[in-house]
Amino acid sequence: MSKYEITIGIECHVQLATKTKLFSEVDNDARGKEPNSCVSPVDYALPGMLPRLNAEAVRFAVRAGHAMNAEINPISRFDRKHYYYPDLPKGYQISQLYQPIIGTGYIELPDGTKIRIEHAHLEEDAGKLSHFGGYSLVDLNRAGTPLIEIVSMPDIHSAAHARDYCKELWRIMTYAGVTYGDLYNGNMRFDVNISLAPAGAKELGTRAEIKNLNSFRSVERAVEYEYQRQSKLLDKGEKIKQETRGWSDDTGKTTAQRSKEEAQDYRYMPEPDVPPIHLSDKYISAEKAALPLLPSDYRARFRDIIPTDTLEILLDYQPLMEKLSELKDNIKAIANLFTSVLLAEEKSVEMLDDLPSAEQLSNLAEMNAKKELSSTATKEVFLKFFDPQMKSKSALDIAKELGVLQENDTAALEKIVDTVLAKPETQKAQADFKAGQDKVIGFLVGQVMKESHGQANPSTVQQILRQKLK
Amino acid sequence: MKITREEIDHLAQLSNFSLSDEEAKSLGVDLENIIKYISQLDELDVKGVEPTYQVFEMENVWRPDEIQPQEADREQLLALTKEQSDHQIKVPKVL
Repeated sequence: MSKYEITIGIECHVQLATKTKLFSEVDNDARGKEPNSCVSPVDYALPGMLPRLNAEAVRFAVRAGHAMNAEINPISRFDRKHYYYPDLPKGYQISQLYQPIIGTGYIELPDGTKIRIEHAHLEEDAGKLSHFGGYSLVDLNRAGTPLIEIVSMPDIHSAAHARDYCKELWRIMTYAGVTYGDLYNGNMRFDVNISLAPAGAKELGTRAEIKNLNSFRSVERAVEYEYQRQSKLLDKGEKIKQETRGWSDDTGKTTAQRSKEEAQDYRYMPEPDVPPIHLSDKYISAEKAALPLLPSDYRARFRDIIPTDTLEILLDYQPLMEKLSELKDNIKAIANLFTSVLLAEEKSVEMLDDLPSAEQLSNLAEMNAKKELSSTATKEVFLKFFDPQMKSKSALDIAKELGVLQENDTAALEKIVDTVLAKPETQKAQADFKAGQDKVIGFLVGQVMKESHGQANPSTVQQILRQKLK
Repeated sequence: MKITREEIDHLAQLSNFSLSDEEAKSLGVDLENIIKYISQLDELDVKGVEPTYQVFEMENVWRPDEIQPQEADREQLLALTKEQSDHQIKVPKVL
């Protein structure tokens, strides 16, 4: 047992995939667009501009709350959080401090561990800064993008669980359809609070906050690094400073950014321009009923059918889980095709957009089970389902076209075997086999396969050969 | 209520203002007067009264999620900034 116990709480910012921003009616999807091209006078904070709340952002927040098994607060309000920075032209962020829209909830990690959610609130994102030699440039396309900030309880106690929590949150939010979940572009960002205390201690240690992590791997690595850093300090009898630290993927280290003592003073006050949100029971329960299936639902459904390792891989791809849910049988075989063939393809992500029908997949798996297709041929046919020329065809038609149907008709196979056994070049092998050299059967099977143009089922061929050469 | 110089400096720092001694002094007087004026409200007994966040008692003032054309375009908005570069607002280096 290690000397120190680690305690982790995570704040996660999720950008909501609404069409417009939280308080202005401009395009919220700035991907691939020119800087400052998705900006309104509201985002620019021109005097006299009034924020107008996006009803869809409220709905997405409620949906996200349900997806985290959370209480939805019927009444929530906005507050101003003041700070002065060039990425925030108003000089304050409209957020929810006192009455957030989402109350306590929890999410369950793949191994069953429950992590409680303290609350989650709606707020607006800030703009993007890029830094150059002597100046910085401000792009306000992202300013005003709706966010929910999800605050966990300090229920996480290992780097692996920190990673699992972030990943599960990402799955839940993307399954619920509230975010594009593009981590590379900052759709979800994680702030990780980490403290160490002697094992068994009642009180938590002083925490450091690692800001703005945007991959599961960096969350895990940053936690591992902080554990080392803080335990070394504690071993030397030094104190941990409460501070914000930044993480570098390149150096694999965290470095101090600003100390919490010298203080942020946000001077929160109620936001007078945005009236409170009052949600009816009907509204809240209707959103709950409309929630799509979540990772935990799929786990419950497939637990006894698909091995856990395979299932956890597939759970990263919602379209695959939806497809598996349409199937009545051969689910395990098709799950295996998804992991071993589809996900191994370079273009697998694009392939997910246009999956074969449940019927095509079922027939394919059925043909494989009946040995009408070898496993190699099954993969070949499966990939043709994604070929624009072939994708509307049935497994049988594709197999015929490729000439990979296995000949299982024993009578037909016996004829081929007889032809091969009559050939002079197989006589020696036959004699050797009869003399007890069992492995030459392979050569004979090969000859039959050749004669059948690869369409015979090799194990049936072997059975017939053994019978005839007895 | 007396506003100290430290409080003025703190507020100025939060807003990234630099103030001369004179400005700090006169702002201090203004702030004291404002707070004194507002403090008259303290005389009211508001025990048991819910805080008022919103005087018009409106709620759910929200709009559909639809993109609307804007009256000001990018160049007009950028023209309002002190300096711009590559269609972005140029500011002194911040980190």
